[in-house]
Amino acid sequence: MARWALVSGLQGDLDLYEAIQRDLRQLGRVDTLFVLGDLIGPDRDANALLHRLQLPRRGELQPQCLYGWWEDQLLAELGYRGERRADPLRQRFGQAAVEALQQAVDPGRMAWLAALQFGFIELDCALLHGSSADVGDRLGPDSSPLLLLDRLTRMDVNRLFTARSGKQFSVELSGGGIASAVRDLAGERQLQQVVPQRKVIGIGSGLRYTLYDPGSDRIAFRTVGQQAGSRGRGFA
Amino acid sequence: MAHAVISCLHANLAALEAVLADIDQLGIATITCLGDLVGYGPQPNEVVTLVRERAIPCCQGCWDEDIIEGLNSCECSYPSQLAERRGHLAHQWTADQLSETNKAFLASLPMTLRRDRLLFVHGSPNSQHEYLLPDMDAFAALERVHTADADTLFCGHTHRPYVRELRDGVIRVRVQTVSDQSAAIEREMPLSVRRIINAGSVGEPRHGNTHATYVVHDEATGSVEIRAVPYDLERTCRAIVEAGLPPVFAWRLRHGFEYAERADDASHVCER
Ligand SMILES: [Zn+2]
Ligand SMILES: [Zn+2]
Repeated sequence: MARWALVSGLQGDLDLYEAIQRDLRQLGRVDTLFVLGDLIGPDRDANALLHRLQLPRRGELQPQCLYGWWEDQLLAELGYRGERRADPLRQRFGQAAVEALQQAVDPGRMAWLAALQFGFIELDCALLHGSSADVGDRLGPDSSPLLLLDRLTRMDVNRLFTARSGKQFSVELSGGGIASAVRDLAGERQLQQVVPQRKVIGIGSGLRYTLYDPGSDRIAFRTVGQQAGSRGRGFA
Repeated sequence: MAHAVISCLHANLAALEAVLADIDQLGIATITCLGDLVGYGPQPNEVVTLVRERAIPCCQGCWDEDIIEGLNSCECSYPSQLAERRGHLAHQWTADQLSETNKAFLASLPMTLRRDRLLFVHGSPNSQHEYLLPDMDAFAALERVHTADADTLFCGHTHRPYVRELRDGVIRVRVQTVSDQSAAIEREMPLSVRRIINAGSVGEPRHGNTHATYVVHDEATGSVEIRAVPYDLERTCRAIVEAGLPPVFAWRLRHGFEYAERADDASHVCER
C-alpha cells in the first residue's frame, strides 16, 4: 500500500531535508515523497538542496516537487511569469529580500525551477502549495468552511493538501447542505444539495510534515525527531 | 424603489431602444448595465453612444475588455471552440468600427459597481469571463456572493436570465490540528440567504426566444421581475448582413439560441 510523506518550506535547508529523509527511513513505510514548494528562501543559499532534490543519494526517496510561493516570486522577478514581477515579495519583505532570493539560486538552476508544476492530482487528491485559486492562498484550520469547500470544488477532488499556511491541520466537511430556488422564463425549480464529504489538509512546514495513507485515508502529523512511539495514532 | 438591470447589449441598437422604452414606460429612473455593450452586433458606436447619452452606469464586460486589451484572453472567454472562431471575426470587425472616444469609454469602465449590499458584475466577482450558470454548484455560487461581501449579486454573461435564491445553508466541519482524531473540534457555519440575479441579454438573447431580456428589482420588497421585450429583430438582422458580419449572428437572433454557445466546460474557472 502506498504511503505518502508531504513536506514543504525547506527554504534551502539541506540539513533539514537530510533529517526528514532519515526520519522517513526510520519510519520505513513511506514510499512516495512530495515536496509542496518553498524549496528556496531568502535566508540561505539553496543550491546544495536543489542539487540533492534533482539527484537523490542512494537509499533516499526520490522527491516529487512543486513550486511554491517563494519559487513563484523568483520566477516572476526573473521574467518567467510574463509581465508579473515579485511585487508581493517586495511589498512584504522589501527589496533586500528580492535580492537575497536571487542570490540564493544559481542562474543554471532556474530552468529546473521553471519546469516545476503548480500541483499534482493523485487518486482523488490535489496536492498544492496554496490552493486552486492561487499559489499564495493561505488555507488554515480557521478558514471559512465555505471557502475551503470552494477550493475543493474547483479542483473536483475529495482531498486537498496545502502547505502555504505552514500549519498542520485537517478540516473535514462533515455535514450540512443548502437549498436553492431557481426561477427563469420557463418557471421555477427547487434544488437541494448536501455538503460532500471532503477534506482539506495542511501539511505543515520545515520540521513539521505530514504522512498520508491513501488506502485508509489516515493522516498523521509528524515532527522530525519525534519519538517513534509518540507518532500520530492516526497512522498506526 | 425599483431599478432596472441590463446586460449584454452586444451592439444591437433596436433591442436596446426597445428595452429602454420599456423601462421608461414602467417609470423606472435607475438603470445599471453589466457590460458587453459591443460584440456580435452591427451597431457598436450607436449603442455605446446611447448608453453614454443616457448616463447609464456600466461595469466592464468580457467583450468590452477584449476590445480594449486585445484578444489575450484565456480560452474560457468563449464557451466553445466554434464560438471562439466566430467571436474572433466579430472582434476584429468591432475593433475596426469603434471610435476612439467610444473605446476610451469602454476602457474606463470599472470591473464592479456596488450599491449598499448589491453588487453588479459582468461574469462573476472573480472575472468578467466566468459563467455563473443557474444550476452550478450551490456552494460555489454562494461563495462568489459571500466572498464579495454582498447580499445580492447581479451578473450577466450567460445571456440567460434567472433568479437564484440560496437559503438554509449550513456547513459542518471537524477540525483537527493534532494526529489524534479524538481531539477533533466540531464547528458549524450557517450561511445567510444570498441571491444571484442574472439579467440575461438585451442584444443577443439565448434563452430560446427572440425577446430581449432584462430584470427589474424592487429593493423595498425584494421582488424581481424578468422582463422579455419584443423588438424589431429584422432591422438588426439586416444590419448584420449589410455589415458583412457572419450571417449566423442573424440566424441566432431569429432563434434565440445558438448551439455553439453551449459551454463546453461550464465549471471552468478563469485563472487569468
Ligand atoms: Zn455577453
Ligand atoms: Zn460576456
